[in-house]
Amino acid sequence: MLSINNLTAKVEDKTIIKGLNLEVKPGEVHAIMGPNGAGKSTLGYVLSGREGYEVEGGSATLNNNDLLDMDIEERAREGLFLAFQYPVEIPGVSNMEFMKESVNAIREQRGEDALSAAEFLKIAKDACKQVQLPLDFLKRGVNEGFSGGEKKRNEIMQMILLKPTLCILDESDSGLDVDALQVVANGVNSQRDANRSFIVVTHYQRLLDYIKPDFVHILADGKIVKSGDASLALEVEKEGYAFLGKGYEEANA
Amino acid sequence: MSQWLEQVIAQAERQGAPVSWREADYASSLDALKNTPWPTRKTEAWRNTSLTPIEAKKLLSDGVSTASTQIPVIAQLDSIDIEFVNSTLVTDLAQFNLPAGVDIVALENISEQQASSFNTIKPEKHLFGLVNDALATAGVWVNVADDVEFHTPIRFIHHVQDGSENHTRILVNIGRNAKATIIEQGEGHVDSVNTSFSEYDVKAKGELHHYRFAMFTDKTLHAGGCHFKLAESSYLNSTLVGFGSALSRLDTDLIYTGEHANADINALYLLAEGENFDLQTTIEHAVPNCTTTENVRGIVGDKAKANFNGRIHIHRDAQKTLAELNNRNLLLSRRGQINTKPELEIYADDVKCAHGATIAEIDEQALYYLLSRGISRSQALILLNFGFIQELINDIPLTPVREWLTELLSGRFAKMEVK
Amino acid sequence: MTEQIDQALSKQYEAGFVSDIESETFESGLNEDIIRRISAMKEEPEWMLEWRLKAYQTFLEMDDPDWAHVNFPKIDFQKISYYSAPKSMKDKPKSLDEVDPELLRTYEKLGIPLYEQEMLAGVAVDAVFDSVSVVTTFREKLEEAGVIFCPISEAVHKYPDLIKKYIGSVVPRSDNYFAALNSAVFTDGSFVFIPKGVRCPMELSTYFRINEQNTGQFERTLIIAEEGSHVSYLEGCTAPQRDENQLHAAVVELVAMDNAKIKYSTVQNWYPGDEQGRGGIYNFVTKRGICHTNAHISWTQVETGSSITWKYPSCVLKGDNSVGEFYSVALTRGAQQADTGTKMIHLGKNTRSTIIAKGISAKNSNNAYRGLVQMGPKADNARNFTQCDSLLIGDKCGAHTFPYIESRNPSAIVEHEATTSKVSDEQLFLCQQRGLDPEKAVSMIVNGFCKEVFKELPMEFAVEAGKLLEISLEGSVG
Repeated sequence: MLSINNLTAKVEDKTIIKGLNLEVKPGEVHAIMGPNGAGKSTLGYVLSGREGYEVEGGSATLNNNDLLDMDIEERAREGLFLAFQYPVEIPGVSNMEFMKESVNAIREQRGEDALSAAEFLKIAKDACKQVQLPLDFLKRGVNEGFSGGEKKRNEIMQMILLKPTLCILDESDSGLDVDALQVVANGVNSQRDANRSFIVVTHYQRLLDYIKPDFVHILADGKIVKSGDASLALEVEKEGYAFLGKGYEEANA
Repeated sequence: MSQWLEQVIAQAERQGAPVSWREADYASSLDALKNTPWPTRKTEAWRNTSLTPIEAKKLLSDGVSTASTQIPVIAQLDSIDIEFVNSTLVTDLAQFNLPAGVDIVALENISEQQASSFNTIKPEKHLFGLVNDALATAGVWVNVADDVEFHTPIRFIHHVQDGSENHTRILVNIGRNAKATIIEQGEGHVDSVNTSFSEYDVKAKGELHHYRFAMFTDKTLHAGGCHFKLAESSYLNSTLVGFGSALSRLDTDLIYTGEHANADINALYLLAEGENFDLQTTIEHAVPNCTTTENVRGIVGDKAKANFNGRIHIHRDAQKTLAELNNRNLLLSRRGQINTKPELEIYADDVKCAHGATIAEIDEQALYYLLSRGISRSQALILLNFGFIQELINDIPLTPVREWLTELLSGRFAKMEVK
Repeated sequence: MTEQIDQALSKQYEAGFVSDIESETFESGLNEDIIRRISAMKEEPEWMLEWRLKAYQTFLEMDDPDWAHVNFPKIDFQKISYYSAPKSMKDKPKSLDEVDPELLRTYEKLGIPLYEQEMLAGVAVDAVFDSVSVVTTFREKLEEAGVIFCPISEAVHKYPDLIKKYIGSVVPRSDNYFAALNSAVFTDGSFVFIPKGVRCPMELSTYFRINEQNTGQFERTLIIAEEGSHVSYLEGCTAPQRDENQLHAAVVELVAMDNAKIKYSTVQNWYPGDEQGRGGIYNFVTKRGICHTNAHISWTQVETGSSITWKYPSCVLKGDNSVGEFYSVALTRGAQQADTGTKMIHLGKNTRSTIIAKGISAKNSNNAYRGLVQMGPKADNARNFTQCDSLLIGDKCGAHTFPYIESRNPSAIVEHEATTSKVSDEQLFLCQQRGLDPEKAVSMIVNGFCKEVFKELPMEFAVEAGKLLEISLEGSVG
């Protein structure tokens, strides 16, 4: 499904991703862990095509299509979904209006008919309930005045509605209490199936108690330096990033 | 002086004051009008708006029908509708079944005492206000007596017909502890000249919900004003919406005469093609302890030009004033133009005043967020641009008006070219 | 508390003494003959006289501006003397030893010794007394670097091509009423030329002193920074305490060629007049710089003096990527009136401007910020940020903001913010409770309020500006 080959990317003249390789097959859940500054968030931005994140070399394909050649919205329509760590607030644009536009744009790409307002309202309400947000959040401005936890749940609601093929969750656990974490994790788990893959970017092992990964990768200094199964995350939890060398341990202390 | 103004003065001298209680005032307005130099680009109040479209115009008054036409509908709005056509009041005011304490009477039928605040709230400085004094023969007086809460909105509709001049006047008195909603709605695009001025006297603890829709476009020339006086502990909620035409100007003045009064003013303009709109607001904090919140937003596309001047004047001893003015603009086109001047003039030290003005582009982060959800760039820009004004529309307390306006403005916006 | 502040607001102006110097002063009056005589005193070439006479014609055709937020009786230009110079300067002293010791004492008293060995290291000074330049220090040292720093009257003789090319090129004769007047009657001022690629080895500074009664000072400064050069320039000004108003109408022109940088700082401390508004300098100044590609002009001003201040140091950002900055502290007290601000005219692509204006009003004074930010149709991706803050001390003063913002480019971004605040009773109480006297407390609060601007001044002067503010505010609190 996703195939990243020797990817190198820079932000403002500083190379952050330095020859990264990753293969994600349909239905797999990959966790990416690593110390601060390793390039975890950058990876999501580069794959989604954010401006200012410049690819210097390597390739990335999604379903055998060259991801790096597409506009931001084309990647989204191809099935890539990025759940942001800090979703932006857009006052004046209602959540409902925003998601309806988004869902219909993606449906159009798949050759499906646009949903009517009534049809959309029904699925939106269901999704809203699933992430345990009050229904009036549909009417409010996008993320406007939402708490950190509410923003994260709003991201998961969008994921549920958009039915992407590849979901990248960028520290979706940060700033959440246990209850909220469970809501987010349940939302994710409800979407797991044989055709949908996930990349879960996280700093802590905690989230992986709820979303069981098939693979765990350690990202350090722009590269994947170690890969393993779920036990690798537990190891990191216990030992820290000491195995990466002294510098990382201190940076992470 | 302009040819048009000469005709205005000549006509005013011919016709004289429309009612006896206006005689003194009429003469003084006419006098002031004769002594006001025709504004040029060097006149501060007209720095960015050209009067060329009206200067050489012929006074358009003859032979136009005053028959009532189709009234624009605001769905679900149950309102008392009063219509002016070609400087004439065409609605029979006697037809309304008004509760005790609510009067709606033609200006020529009220007593001198009832008219006591006429021309005391509108400042003399407005050139077209003086023109209106001279030419507005038709007008309506609304009186809501003390302690009466009148919930049915009263809607004034200004109809514009080809080749006409419309000069109308509204005088509103909101009694002590009384409450009312007034809508002033003007629409039209045909060759005509329009001045409509309104004065609102809000007594202690009174509450006024006010709307002014200056939706004149194309060849319709418009210069109007709404002027408010707020007594102790009263409240004003006002929404102003402007489209633009060859010349469209709205002057709004508010003076606080009693303490602990508050005003929330939201204004927005959405200009396309070659439209011009000039909004001027002046807030006079003449007494202590009053609060003003003013939000003004505008979107300017194509070859349109917006001008905003927002003045807040804190008088000596108006301590504990809170005044905030915010003006945000989006310029969508290389051929468009936005001028803004938020002014503060402060003579009291224990006050909190702030203003901000921006002319900017759509926030990059917000755009990226929408794109990352698969929305096309053009659609994302429309959503974000419209969201920018939708924020103010959402504040409108009257639901049918809010919904009507959302549809009207989004329709207008959809036709605009978004880069 | 406000009353306490008011009660003790007594004025103290340290530079208010008069020097006893025999001067040659023109009789008052403004006409072509006076202009010819000024030109003759300076032994000017014919083209300079013609330039002045044309300016005078323009001046006669103009009306005095009435848009500023200041009130004063109409100026009678016939009651002013347009030239005054110490007699001792007539023989053109060759060195400081030949200069009238009383003149040197004047500058010493003002804290500006003119002997190079006594001076602040690294600062060259041009001292202008009424209508003439007394001395310009460190000229040889500057010449070694190729920098020209001399009185403009001398530059007219020595560098006529440069003067002809640049005078009036940034502020045309017809720019405004007072610029036209200055162009007709200017007497002295400084001329600076920094050649290509040169970083001026020292701070340049001009010190303006008005001494003679009933005279006006009309100086003109021209700074040209060639490609890639850097210069930092500072001006200071004082005048004696007198009951009549005196007029100061200056013009400053800056030319920053590609990649050049000019930093222009002003500490303006003209006599502000007394509590009732008697006397003081009318300060009507036109300052403007033009920035070519990648050039940078930074204006910093600390305005504490003058009974009326009317000045708008501006930047024309003509070249792509050029930068304009304006940092201002304006303090008014007594009956002072200030209407000051800037214009940032964005013409080129990616041009940037920053405006930080701090106004402090006390007693019966009025302090207005007036600014224009203009984004031209070609100013793609231009940016402006403006912050105007007003601080009111007492309830008899006024603080005003008049920002004009005009944009014709959809990719340009303009942001303007203004706030107003007072020195609160709580702040004073806290400081007093911690053992500070109220005067010190206010001065500390005011200094904090102005910090963003002071940090832009060259270090030697930042300290001075802080002290100046302290002196000005002395007695403003009880």
